[in-house]
Amino acid sequence: MITKGQAAPLLQMSGITKHFPGAKALDGVTLDIRAGEVHCLLGQNGAGKSTLIKTLAGLHQPDDGKILWMGEPTSIPNPTAALQLGVATMYQELDVVDGLSVAENIFLGHEMATAGVLHRRSAASQTRELLARLGHPEISAQQEVGRLPAAGKQVVSMVRALSHDAKLIVMDEPSAVLDPEEVENLFRVVISLKQQGVAVIYISHRLEEIRRIGDRITVLKDGRTVATGLSVEDTSTAELIELMTGHEVVADFGGAPTGAISETPVLSVEDLAVDGLFEAVSFSVRPGEIIGLAGLVGAGRSEILETIYGARKPTAGAVRMEGRQLRAGSVPDAVRHGIGLAPEERKSQGLLLEEPIYRNITLSTFARFAAGGWLREAAERGAAKKQATSLHLSPPDVDRRIRTLSGGNQQKAMLARWLVHGCQVLLLDEPTRGVDVGARAEIYTLIRELTAQGTAVVMVSSEIEEVLGLADQILVVADGRIVDQRPAAALDEHQVLDLVMEGAPA
Amino acid sequence: MTRTISTTPTWWLSATALLSAGLLVSGCLSNDPDAVADDDDDGGGTADTALVGDNAELGEEVVIGYSGPAAGHGWMSAITQAAQEQGEELEDVDLRISEGDNDVNLQISQIEQFINDGVDAIVVLPFDGAALTEVAIDAMEAGIPVVNVDREFSSEFAARTTILGDNYGMGVSAGEYICERLDGDSDAVVAEVAGIDSLPLTQDRSAGFEDALADCGLEVDHRVDGGFSVSEGESAAANLLQAAPEIDALWNHDDDQGVGVLAAIENAGRDEFFMVGGAGSANMMREIQDEESVVEATVIYPSTQAADGIRLARLLAQGRAMGDLVQLEVPREIQLYAPVVTAENVDQYIDSAFES
Amino acid sequence: MSTEDTSHDASGVKASAPARGRGGPRAGSHPDTSVPGRAMSGTEAVVPTGETSTVERDLRPVDSEQKAAPTFQLSLGHSLGLVLALVALIALGAATGGDRFLSLSNMTTILSQAAVIGVISIGVTFVITAGGIDLSVGSVMGLATVWATTLGTQAMANDLHWIVLVLTALAVGAGAGLVNGIIIAYGKVVPFIATLAMLVAARGFAEIISGRQTQIVNVPEFTNAFRRSILGVPVIVWIFILVAVAGWFLLNRTTFGRRTIAVGGNAEAARLAGIKVKRHTMLVFTLAGLCAGIGAVMMLSRTTAGSSTHGSLMELDAIAAVVIGGTLLVGGRGTIVGTVLGVIIFAVLTNVLIQNNLDQSVQALVTGGIIVGAVLLQQRFSREAKRR
Repeated sequence: MITKGQAAPLLQMSGITKHFPGAKALDGVTLDIRAGEVHCLLGQNGAGKSTLIKTLAGLHQPDDGKILWMGEPTSIPNPTAALQLGVATMYQELDVVDGLSVAENIFLGHEMATAGVLHRRSAASQTRELLARLGHPEISAQQEVGRLPAAGKQVVSMVRALSHDAKLIVMDEPSAVLDPEEVENLFRVVISLKQQGVAVIYISHRLEEIRRIGDRITVLKDGRTVATGLSVEDTSTAELIELMTGHEVVADFGGAPTGAISETPVLSVEDLAVDGLFEAVSFSVRPGEIIGLAGLVGAGRSEILETIYGARKPTAGAVRMEGRQLRAGSVPDAVRHGIGLAPEERKSQGLLLEEPIYRNITLSTFARFAAGGWLREAAERGAAKKQATSLHLSPPDVDRRIRTLSGGNQQKAMLARWLVHGCQVLLLDEPTRGVDVGARAEIYTLIRELTAQGTAVVMVSSEIEEVLGLADQILVVADGRIVDQRPAAALDEHQVLDLVMEGAPA
Repeated sequence: MTRTISTTPTWWLSATALLSAGLLVSGCLSNDPDAVADDDDDGGGTADTALVGDNAELGEEVVIGYSGPAAGHGWMSAITQAAQEQGEELEDVDLRISEGDNDVNLQISQIEQFINDGVDAIVVLPFDGAALTEVAIDAMEAGIPVVNVDREFSSEFAARTTILGDNYGMGVSAGEYICERLDGDSDAVVAEVAGIDSLPLTQDRSAGFEDALADCGLEVDHRVDGGFSVSEGESAAANLLQAAPEIDALWNHDDDQGVGVLAAIENAGRDEFFMVGGAGSANMMREIQDEESVVEATVIYPSTQAADGIRLARLLAQGRAMGDLVQLEVPREIQLYAPVVTAENVDQYIDSAFES
Repeated sequence: MSTEDTSHDASGVKASAPARGRGGPRAGSHPDTSVPGRAMSGTEAVVPTGETSTVERDLRPVDSEQKAAPTFQLSLGHSLGLVLALVALIALGAATGGDRFLSLSNMTTILSQAAVIGVISIGVTFVITAGGIDLSVGSVMGLATVWATTLGTQAMANDLHWIVLVLTALAVGAGAGLVNGIIIAYGKVVPFIATLAMLVAARGFAEIISGRQTQIVNVPEFTNAFRRSILGVPVIVWIFILVAVAGWFLLNRTTFGRRTIAVGGNAEAARLAGIKVKRHTMLVFTLAGLCAGIGAVMMLSRTTAGSSTHGSLMELDAIAAVVIGGTLLVGGRGTIVGTVLGVIIFAVLTNVLIQNNLDQSVQALVTGGIIVGAVLLQQRFSREAKRR
């Protein structure tokens, strides 16, 4: 299966163009993929990465351009054709069916069957074999996929790609839903695929991952290839960001922490616990302070935020705002007292995707603009508009449906919601998930500015760098407990990783 | 920061309490005529004609199963009620009543249950005669005599005895009355509000009506389906009255849906025609008695059929003959007569009419 | 200066921040580091005290006031398909029925026919918009007609006032809706099952109360009050118009409507935004029940009788009208105008078919075809409206 270095590339795409009504998604994309390489595809949201991989998967037909597969001109009219060629795609939204078993998911669409009768046993044994090949023998072929964690689902998705005998696997932000340990596992799998001669197109916003496993890089911007075939070793991060954004960026977190501006805590959490999730969580935040919760996915970080916010009912403990105890398990009470939450899953937990932007911004405050139950949309829209403009929401038309915004702008709309509300405490759960590199810095700056005005922030992030860069205090959460609390300045990335991992067995 | 006093989640409890209190005060579920001042007659409906002669003597104890469609309808309620009363009256009969939904499948399983229980006779008023024929044959083959009421099975072998209302005859009676009233005016416009069109009994009634009209050179100019319910009758009639600006006579198949039909006529403010009812409910007869509405007559469709069926089933199970007949066996078929009730003879029928 | 940030006007500049364009992250990390080529907005960062934080923050200057065009969630485009379908039906009616079809009295009849199902459908529109479904409206309406016409209630109505009849029907409807709402919101039973149970139970209860008999209304004042016409339009049509207009305002212009759309669009997002989703769900089902109660009053006045058979299968007609109208069956988007059009299309259709003396089976067949046709038209036009 190992191809020689000099053979024709596995895949060559040149001059690929794709128009959508009113927009040019791809405008002459060129790249080549060699067997057994990890080819990283970089670009900001909207650069054309998704359209490109959908073209490869047979979901879109290019208007123009050539595709050569192992040197042969090829067209990919539909997803089946892509799979037959040996191109498998793992989408960002994991496309597994929760109600089916691991084996059923893997052979979904190409079931092993005779006259409609499934060969369950051979499917199961083949599944076990593939899982072992990827280093995940612990996943049972019979297990229901819905019960697996995100990382497990991803493994299933990968095994499915392998089951098609794929020569090229496209991975769209595979690490986004994983915690550091699981990312390591993913890397092992990618490396093992590579050794088996499989080519991987790897899409990620995390440049450090690309440094770890990538071989070559192609950068897209505005539907065009701005650089291709760059060697990972010889290209600096600054260079890459400049290619992606079109200008120089010094990636940072909006300056040094400003720190608390008052000594009286605004929010204090006392011995908060939810049975089976976390216990004895106590901390307090002062105005202007940022507290970062670091920990593995599943350590209880998001659950702590949700409980503070009243979205979960605590089994013990209390949450106080300026000394007043909040009603346990009541979101309206938390919101009334000035707590806001930007949830982890923006689309499913935060937004009304089909509604206009302004109504999303005023979702928690529209009643404030109403008189006796009658909405005053002009006032409401005006307030939303004001925040949208000041946050540089792009595009600035607040009547558009929020679905049309990029991840970064959707996150800005979430923040705008709490700005209109006027929160004293903001709970941010993975504030930059699905936000591209350019927009991240904007979010960071925004958080800084809020704290400079006295807002207290409690944030959760899987990106340790982000927590360290933004927070004043770090709380390390492991296995439902706070195992350490230190000023961010006293920690570096390795120390946090150590704490996060070590805490686990306790 | 403005603090609002938190509303307790129990506010709806008080709302519920208030609401139910309101309902109790306003409604009281009492539907007992004696409990209120109004002196309506006792909606019982069936004429109490007690057994006389030989058949009155107690025979051996027998178990009879009765299966009929759901009584979501005045006439059908009257049928079931009469059957029930008959069961109580006959001391040597243990009557088991199982009412179906209007669901053929359910009725089949009820009859299967009777067969399994080994009852002595079965009385069936099928929702759909054809669909229940097979299971009735099963019962007959198991040695259980079946009395078929109202809607006929499609096989001779499915029932020992059949008691039929005369659906075709009902249409004929209505048609003949209209012919007579219109007195040879062959340009007259005749309208018809039918029952559920898909039922054979409706088709029979319409066929009889059509044939009778044809005899005097008339035809049905407008026809709608009243669905055997008040609301559908109202809505069908309202549309019909719009479609037909001038009507001379209208036959409504069923007095129960007739309540709705009459409401539609009053809503439209129409009175240029006369109306003939069907089935013979007490309130239609009161309309006839009052002579104030368009209702002039109604054709009786006896609501005692099931009760008669139970009497015959008792005789069959006990191996006895019908009183007043020389014949030793209970006859194969009995067809009930469908008289026309008008202002002249209404007093004779109103006491035995069913309340819709 | 530190208290300045309470100002609400557009020009109030609070924090220092450079204006920046799309995708252009700022260089430099300190608030006072200026970015080449970009103007600073002015003042220094403001350090407010804790008390001021409930007011809205305006972090950066507002460029300019944009056009404040009012947004109508439903442009005509969304309903254009329905209007066309209706016009086509009316044309068909006029072609086959002529003046008789177009006469004022026929139009009144059509609207009277549409009125009962229309009011019920408006309640159902709210439920569906909120992401639920209500299968019980028809049988709740039947129960309300029966309860309001028991001899006991009628005697009381005759003794006191006919309004007793009305209030009873409304209370029964709202009460049944409330029970639905509590079971669904607090008992966490899916709406389909909870209202299916209510459908069966209410029908059974109505049969028990009425002894399965038709209960004729003997309260002449009630009948007189509701069977009048005002300005040539029957009272029940006025009720339909009032409920439709009130429903439109409630859905599009009030916090209640906004919450309904939010709960239906994304219940979790609504909950996390501080909306009391359970309470609202309960209220929405109560509203649907209340509409069924209003429908019951109208039904009583039209048929002059209460019956447990009233409203059977009406839930399906109502759901069909609502969905044809363009309300999303999954929730999050509802249209009262569409629902009203949907109901009227059904009523006109029935009227046209009866005018042409078609039998019931043909009517059913044609109705099926029209449902699909109207939905196809409606989808096509709403897609085009979306594209704009």
